[in-house]
Amino acid sequence: MRLLSLAIGAVFAGPAVFVVWRTLRLGAALPETLSEIPAPLWRTVQLAVLVSTTTAVLGTGLAWLTMRTNLPLRRLWRVILVLPLVLPSFVGAAAFIAGLAPGGVIHDSLELVGISPPRRFRGLGASWLVLSAFTYPYVLLPVMARLVSLRSSLDESGRLLGFTATQVFIRITLPQLKPAILGGSLLVFLYTVSEFGAVQLLGYDTLTRVIYSTRQTNRALSFAAATVLLILALGIVALERSRRGVVAPDDRAETTTAPAVKLRWRAVPAFVACALVAAIGLVVPLLSLGTWARRGLVDGRVSLSELADPALSTATVAVTAAVLAVLVVLPIAIGSIRRPHPISHVSSVSVVVGFAIPGLVIALSLAVLTLNTPIFNRFYQTMGLLVLAYIIHFGSQALAGTETAVRAVPSGLRESSKLLEPRTIRRALRIDMPLMRPGLAAAGGLVMLSTLKELPITLLLSPIGFSTLATEIWASYEEGFYAATGLASLVLVAMSAVLTWILVLRPSEAVSS
Amino acid sequence: MASSPHAAPVLPIESPDNGPSEAIRSAVSGASVAIDAVTVTYESTHGSGPPVGAVNNATLDIPAGSILALLGPSGCGKTSLLRAIAGLERPKHGTISIGGRCVSSAQTWVQPERRSVGMVFQDGALFPHLTVAENVAFGLRRSSLAMNRRKRSERVGEMLELVDLADLGDRYPGTLSGGQQQRVALARSLAPQPSVLLLDEPFSALDAALRIQVRAEVARIVRDVSVTTIFVTHDQDEAFVLGDRVAVLRNGYIEQVGTPDELYRHPSTRWVAGFVGEANLVRGQLDTSSGDTGLANTLLGPVPIATPIAAGSDGDLDILVRPEQVDLRPGDCALVTNVEYYGHDVRYELQLDDGSTLAARTKSSELRERGTRVCVRFDGSATEAWPSAGPTAASTLLTP
Repeated sequence: MRLLSLAIGAVFAGPAVFVVWRTLRLGAALPETLSEIPAPLWRTVQLAVLVSTTTAVLGTGLAWLTMRTNLPLRRLWRVILVLPLVLPSFVGAAAFIAGLAPGGVIHDSLELVGISPPRRFRGLGASWLVLSAFTYPYVLLPVMARLVSLRSSLDESGRLLGFTATQVFIRITLPQLKPAILGGSLLVFLYTVSEFGAVQLLGYDTLTRVIYSTRQTNRALSFAAATVLLILALGIVALERSRRGVVAPDDRAETTTAPAVKLRWRAVPAFVACALVAAIGLVVPLLSLGTWARRGLVDGRVSLSELADPALSTATVAVTAAVLAVLVVLPIAIGSIRRPHPISHVSSVSVVVGFAIPGLVIALSLAVLTLNTPIFNRFYQTMGLLVLAYIIHFGSQALAGTETAVRAVPSGLRESSKLLEPRTIRRALRIDMPLMRPGLAAAGGLVMLSTLKELPITLLLSPIGFSTLATEIWASYEEGFYAATGLASLVLVAMSAVLTWILVLRPSEAVSS
Repeated sequence: MASSPHAAPVLPIESPDNGPSEAIRSAVSGASVAIDAVTVTYESTHGSGPPVGAVNNATLDIPAGSILALLGPSGCGKTSLLRAIAGLERPKHGTISIGGRCVSSAQTWVQPERRSVGMVFQDGALFPHLTVAENVAFGLRRSSLAMNRRKRSERVGEMLELVDLADLGDRYPGTLSGGQQQRVALARSLAPQPSVLLLDEPFSALDAALRIQVRAEVARIVRDVSVTTIFVTHDQDEAFVLGDRVAVLRNGYIEQVGTPDELYRHPSTRWVAGFVGEANLVRGQLDTSSGDTGLANTLLGPVPIATPIAAGSDGDLDILVRPEQVDLRPGDCALVTNVEYYGHDVRYELQLDDGSTLAARTKSSELRERGTRVCVRFDGSATEAWPSAGPTAASTLLTP
């Protein structure tokens, strides 16, 4: 078991190790190559700082408004404000660009009210807007969860000790929310530095864009940029981990419904703010995609039947990746929970770190590794390699759920079931599986959702002729065929919406009610 | 303070120096609380339903420096009333005054932070990100107190000494035991010298042995600082041990207010009789032959009735007989079905001839065995009786 989990851990660490090794092998050429890095690195950090700060404020504010105030329609807002999560950010970026193009819904409605639409939508500002609009739920969700579990007696004690509601929010509530806010915005930071599709579309030169554009022409630079990005991403995850350890969990937390804060006249600006966020993150992009798709369907230039194949392959590859990812991390989860040992710890860390490695880096590493190594050569552009890349990238998401599943069968229960049912197989089927199923399903579902929305790995590693919805969207956008972009995006959004509802909204509703 | 009936401080026996400093005692002084016709309602949890009543038309006067227990089963509205006094809940009707100042009425609303009220919650509600000392100092930072750093830390030291936790100031709440957390919570709420202290089931999260110990300590402290104290509990023992007076709540209504002794001996309703302690309701008839309406004839012999029953009621009565008012004698009118030996006394369950059950408590010196037959007599002072609602058994046993 330990050997197995060590091997799995090694596979997860492989791509990152290869990237660093290749970069170090540059030797004398390294300093020269590195001199080209600072500018895109600075742009990457600039964007990531802006986006994570914005989402920290936005996510916290919206969570507080929907959970702790008498905001009109707050139950509905709790659902709607999470929904931008279903839009992959490259789809969101494409939707904005298509919407601002002549004939797009934003362009036309701006003209209608007599404002001349902006001629170009690119660069730092555009990337900041798009990424913030689609990633703030990463802060919103944990902060909402924290607010639900936060005892209202803390706030009330603060009031009775002589402080106003605002002072109590700053001195008591905010420190309690800090771990959730910090965790969420570090996730956004990581997401932003790894982001490829949106910044590529919006023409903002970050590290990922350098990696992608030089991957064939200047492989040294591509690898150097990948190494820098890797270090940046790992540094962020390490920071998040170390900060997370500081706060002791509140084990006496009882779910209490705090009396709503009366907003009075402030309900109007608060409502407008929620509506604006929902408009930018959800309504406008969907309208924009919908308008183009409808136009294409009316013209007969696009049809849903053309998308049947990509949709089916998207679903197939996502399900395959999900099932395999859960199976792969299961030995590690079992090892680290039932028989903790340094080796299983190392393996589980290496799986978790896979999450921090940007998808583009994994894709680049695996592509070059298979292309240039004779024994691995025949794996290049195969389904197997594609799925392996997904597993490495999203294994950590499967690990959390799988660990929950393993914990669902406590040792006392296993021992007593051993006494009652000596046959291992029957025991596994009748005791272990039913108890583990919810955790395993959640783990697989998360991997599926992420795989659907993944772009760079799919783009770089897909077998020739294999097209998924993500590659369809990308290709049609590059051809300027907005109708096809719109329709494929809507299908992808619909698929990920169903999964998001099952995985994210339903559990969080259960928490809040 | 001088007006308080508890001006004589109950100092710990070992050494008077351990008590609170003179500064604390003279600075803190209770204010009276007047609750007049207060109604608190909740919006129905399922959106559009009618508002749910939590407290109905409650009227209470709590003298400065006294301790009042709000006693009732869960969901009776006792916590809602406490929260209304704190200002955490706005009553629909009625007025609340603290120290003669109206803090809540149709026209007036004083924010909780301006009421000079301290509150200890069931879970302690200590701020987990602050140390014990910082928790206690929290309420001292408000600008109205205008305390400098040195004064604050002096006061924190005094308060921690008061609750006997002087050496734990640097610890975080998560590392303390439940009893210690509650004592810190008490120190925190008393530090800014509130005129009223509210305790919301403060001992319910503690286990039985600890509860009695912490309860005694809290009683000592609040009597020392003579702060007006209102506490909520569902535990009759706790209400009786701590409360100078007890208000019994049921379904949002105050059923009765009185000293523990009044409630126990002279409950106003059958329900209160059963809620504050074990009670037998024994069937009897008013003795009209002697012309004395203060006597009833029962299976246990004549029983004196304290509150005269309205003349003309000639039906059956339900007469309150506490188990310790039942005397067992040799004879043949009841069967001993169960014996519970407690050391200081023994509780018997007896089966009467019509099959109904009677509970009795006697000293353990004359022990009876299960299965023996005895005779039962009433032995006690005048008790309460209510007209019987319908055909009843010879005895009905009510347990809290």
